[in-house]
Amino acid sequence: MQTTTQSLPPRIKRIWGYSALGSFLALLVITGLLWLAHTYWHWTVWLAVFGGILTVIEPTIEAALIPYRYRFSRYQITSLAVEIQSGWLFKKRVAIPIARVQNVTLNAGPLLQWQHLTQVTVATAATSHTIEGLELDVAAQLREQIMRLAQEARHDPA
Amino acid sequence: MTQPKHTHPLGYVQHTAKQLKDYWFLILLAVWQWDHLTTTWRVVAVLAMVTWLLIWPLLKWLTLTYQLTATAIVVNSGIFVRHHRHIPYSRLQTVQRKQWFYLRPFHLETLQIETASHQDGEPEVQLPAVPLTVADTLERYRRASYHPLSPDAPAPQPATTTPASNNGLGAVQQRYVTNRHTLLLFALTSTGIIPLLLVLLAIYGKLPHKWVDLLVADAQHFALPLLIGGAVALLIIAWLGALIWVLIRYYRFTLTRTPDQLQIAKGLFQRNTITAPLNRVQAVRTKQNILRQWLHLQTVQVLLASKAATDDDDHDLVILPAIAQQQLYSTLHPFIDWVPGVVPQLEHLIVPQHARWLLSRNAVLVVALPVVLLGWLVRPWGWLGLLLIPFAILQGQFAAHNTGGSLLTHQLLVLQTGHFWTRETFFVPREQIQSLQLNWSVWMVKRQLAHLTVNVRHGNHNQAIELRYISAKQAQNIYDWYQGQ
Repeated sequence: MQTTTQSLPPRIKRIWGYSALGSFLALLVITGLLWLAHTYWHWTVWLAVFGGILTVIEPTIEAALIPYRYRFSRYQITSLAVEIQSGWLFKKRVAIPIARVQNVTLNAGPLLQWQHLTQVTVATAATSHTIEGLELDVAAQLREQIMRLAQEARHDPA
Repeated sequence: MTQPKHTHPLGYVQHTAKQLKDYWFLILLAVWQWDHLTTTWRVVAVLAMVTWLLIWPLLKWLTLTYQLTATAIVVNSGIFVRHHRHIPYSRLQTVQRKQWFYLRPFHLETLQIETASHQDGEPEVQLPAVPLTVADTLERYRRASYHPLSPDAPAPQPATTTPASNNGLGAVQQRYVTNRHTLLLFALTSTGIIPLLLVLLAIYGKLPHKWVDLLVADAQHFALPLLIGGAVALLIIAWLGALIWVLIRYYRFTLTRTPDQLQIAKGLFQRNTITAPLNRVQAVRTKQNILRQWLHLQTVQVLLASKAATDDDDHDLVILPAIAQQQLYSTLHPFIDWVPGVVPQLEHLIVPQHARWLLSRNAVLVVALPVVLLGWLVRPWGWLGLLLIPFAILQGQFAAHNTGGSLLTHQLLVLQTGHFWTRETFFVPREQIQSLQLNWSVWMVKRQLAHLTVNVRHGNHNQAIELRYISAKQAQNIYDWYQGQ
């Protein structure tokens, strides 16, 4: 791993934790509904059992993987390119030259807003790539940088 | 042209034909239900039909106007919601001229215009039945926008008459016309037979049950010969249909190059002329299925950022439908300068010997579940599905054998893949690569392997060119080359 790449803001781990909790609650509700369906409409009980197992396993795995996910999600923004890395078992590394960037979208759900973070999606003429969470000022700086470069090089690649 | 103009009245016929093509089933429905309707409902049905199929297109025709100004083409359309579309000439991607044979005596054609905007569905501007002079004028304005005159010069005033010699395109630098022999070989090896077979099967499904039952009753006497004969006849019909379809579509295929544009003309009943600026070409692809590999026949396409080629193979514009492999590079180079004039060496990004079996393994994994399910559910014939496994192993080896790539110059990357028994070679200039990605799993690290994905725009989408299981070091070299601007 190169030393120049940066980790995501540490607070993102808390958000991932809450999001695992969120999936737990959502799955719990679904399992409950399946149980009700079993009681009143005689749906097979296996659906509810399967839901219950999923309710335990999925959030556990999601929560357990947070340290790994954090450790192997990295990004780098230079004056020339944005680089994003993620994953350990299946590692991915992508380079997007700033000259190819068509637009930058900042997205923040309630959890990210509460932690003053934002998701950044960088779109080229063909693909789009997401950095899961950045500090607001870093994101704004990236956006400014891309806008400036876009104005400088106003020749159309597409 | 300073005033907004209507299209020729034949344009109304085109609108109506399209409406009939889209809603013919309404007429069938009405005829079918005719006996069950009271007189009032019959009147209502006929009125509704006339309105929707005849008057609505008339309103469409009446509300469609266009205007060529000095800087842009303006198109007004819409019956309830008015659209005013304003397209500067410098933003035009492709201009497509379609002329049905019945429009020829009137010197009319359908004009379609595309830009690079991310819109799906219909072409951005479609003008049915406009005089040929419109496209010629448009072409001249567009060329003027490429080479802006000095500010004190007067605005370009294109003549309204058609110079028959050069179509308003400028000096012709290169021209290529497909020869009949290679086009016939191309048509013979087309895989278009598969969709046609599906259509024939669908028609069979739609036949009244009485006929089918009758046929089956007859067939009981000499069932097997009839069945086999029927299947062979079906195949021959589908194959002939595909053959004729290709020959009609690519009839007198001509590729022309002017200093800054490529122009393709093709088709028998509908002559289709497509013009695309050379500097908007995203990548060049040569393609051959396994049959054409045996015949040493190649197809060349250009990837463009517009939908002008939706009828073509994979929605990319075919510029050379069929060309002998030996002549490919010497023929192509004069049309697109940055494609090499000789066969490129692709020895860098190859699948190492020790990794070749991985591609076969993955192909087998893909077919494993369907094979097991089929064998388990449809006994005993389902086990015939096991034949898919050697097929998958061979496909894996085909992919391994054909994967290749090289940095030809500091600005040009060449990549070759082998998916679904089709070998594709891509020529991608560096400035057209939108992003580049490396993937590897933990197990691949030990074997020093990686997947390389190069993303290029085509049509309104992404064309991901993926080389799987190549040497990690070579993949990293390409990544570094891409990053080092």
